[in-house]
Amino acid sequence: MDIGIIIAGILTLAIFTFLYRDNPIYRLVEHLLIGLSIGYALVIYWQTTLVDILFRPLFTGGKPVLLIPLVLGLLMFSRFNSRLSWLSRIPIAFMIGAGAGVAIPAMLYARTLKQVSASVMPLIDDGGFHIEALVVALGLLSTLAYFYFSREHEGLMGKAARLGTYFLMVFFGATFAYTVMSRMSTFIGRIDFLLTDFLRLIG
Amino acid sequence: MTPAGIRWIIFAGLFAVVTLSYLVVVDFGSLSSPEVQKSYDYLENLPEGAVVMVSFDHEASSLPEIQPIALAILRHIFRSNLKPVGVSLFAEGTAIGYRLMNKTAGEFGKKYGTDYVFMGFKPQQIAAILGMGESIKNIFPEDYLGTPVEKLPLMADIENYDDIEMVISIADGSLTVHWIEYAGAKYGQPVMAGLTAAMITSYDPYLSSGQLFSVVGGLKGAAEYESLIGRKGGGTRGMMAQTTTHLYVIVLIIIGNIFYFRSKTKSGAKQ
Repeated sequence: MDIGIIIAGILTLAIFTFLYRDNPIYRLVEHLLIGLSIGYALVIYWQTTLVDILFRPLFTGGKPVLLIPLVLGLLMFSRFNSRLSWLSRIPIAFMIGAGAGVAIPAMLYARTLKQVSASVMPLIDDGGFHIEALVVALGLLSTLAYFYFSREHEGLMGKAARLGTYFLMVFFGATFAYTVMSRMSTFIGRIDFLLTDFLRLIG
Repeated sequence: MTPAGIRWIIFAGLFAVVTLSYLVVVDFGSLSSPEVQKSYDYLENLPEGAVVMVSFDHEASSLPEIQPIALAILRHIFRSNLKPVGVSLFAEGTAIGYRLMNKTAGEFGKKYGTDYVFMGFKPQQIAAILGMGESIKNIFPEDYLGTPVEKLPLMADIENYDDIEMVISIADGSLTVHWIEYAGAKYGQPVMAGLTAAMITSYDPYLSSGQLFSVVGGLKGAAEYESLIGRKGGGTRGMMAQTTTHLYVIVLIIIGNIFYFRSKTKSGAKQ
């Protein structure tokens, strides 16, 4: 049997010991997972970001312009010194400015304009009456009414807000149910691994 | 009984239900949801040699749910003689993506560099996605193994998203949103997703608006896809367990409510 499968099987069983109660074996494997995840990410980031994108092109590829991001990056470490920490605002300002410049138009288009246009659907067309368009319109308006706090939730506004809470509850219920399904799937996946690959009880 | 004791019984029951479910083989048929069918039909109707990008945007911890989805889609891609370009925008997904692509490519006798490539991980997802819209070679000058892109025959005719038929983001979080917002909205690149079940409702608005082409979601989606390609795997094997655990949870909810209302009635009678 592959050594990787043996190790993975033992570690899976060690994690399952938590179902009995918190114990040193579980803690050891939990710390191992966190350490491995961070260590792996650090190596990947070091190689793919600092070495591939910065050091190699700068020192062997003849791209002196890369000194600018190198200096900006190093300025971030000035936060460790209280007298020099103001210098870190320069790369932070650059990151926020560039990030906002890239993100705002894209998010405005994808998350607002496209979503609004998709919410406005004809109730009746050549295909007849569309009940789903009515549900979308009711859900959209009533949920917005629930989050509109500039007016008392009384009368028609109160009823609309109340309807909005029902739509929200349906959404939260569906999301929670999918999350339970997802967690069950993770558990099932590990049992599948133990029975098929580790213990080889089923083919 | 103490709360800890009750919890232990619930977990032990769950363990027994899942384990026993694996001993009972039930064929759930080949009914597939419209979204999974749409994903399958799209890839099935692509011409041989068409290039698709598969992005492994997930952590290792979601592998039990992600792997059956990824394997089913990759097997369909290789069976249809499509040419996948693998990338990863999440560090942990890098080695997993490489392993899954090699495993499935090996099953169909595909050759690295000619039939498929894996470009590896790229940090700063938004910049990477936008950059690939201009030039994939600039963003990935070499592949995961360090081979210069010029030496990869598959990459010779691939410049940017114009040469990619579909981006398939295998994700357990919000990274697919970046593909939708930047590759989709800015470059008109169609995006398909393979998602964990927990993420499905988060992507429903994008699906309804047409910004996301289709979704293969959760273990159920994987089982449906496996059924469509006619090759059973982790998704199909897990469906019986998935069904019984759901029934188990429903039974627990009913029992919990019975005890709740009984205790409420008793406390009401005392007052």
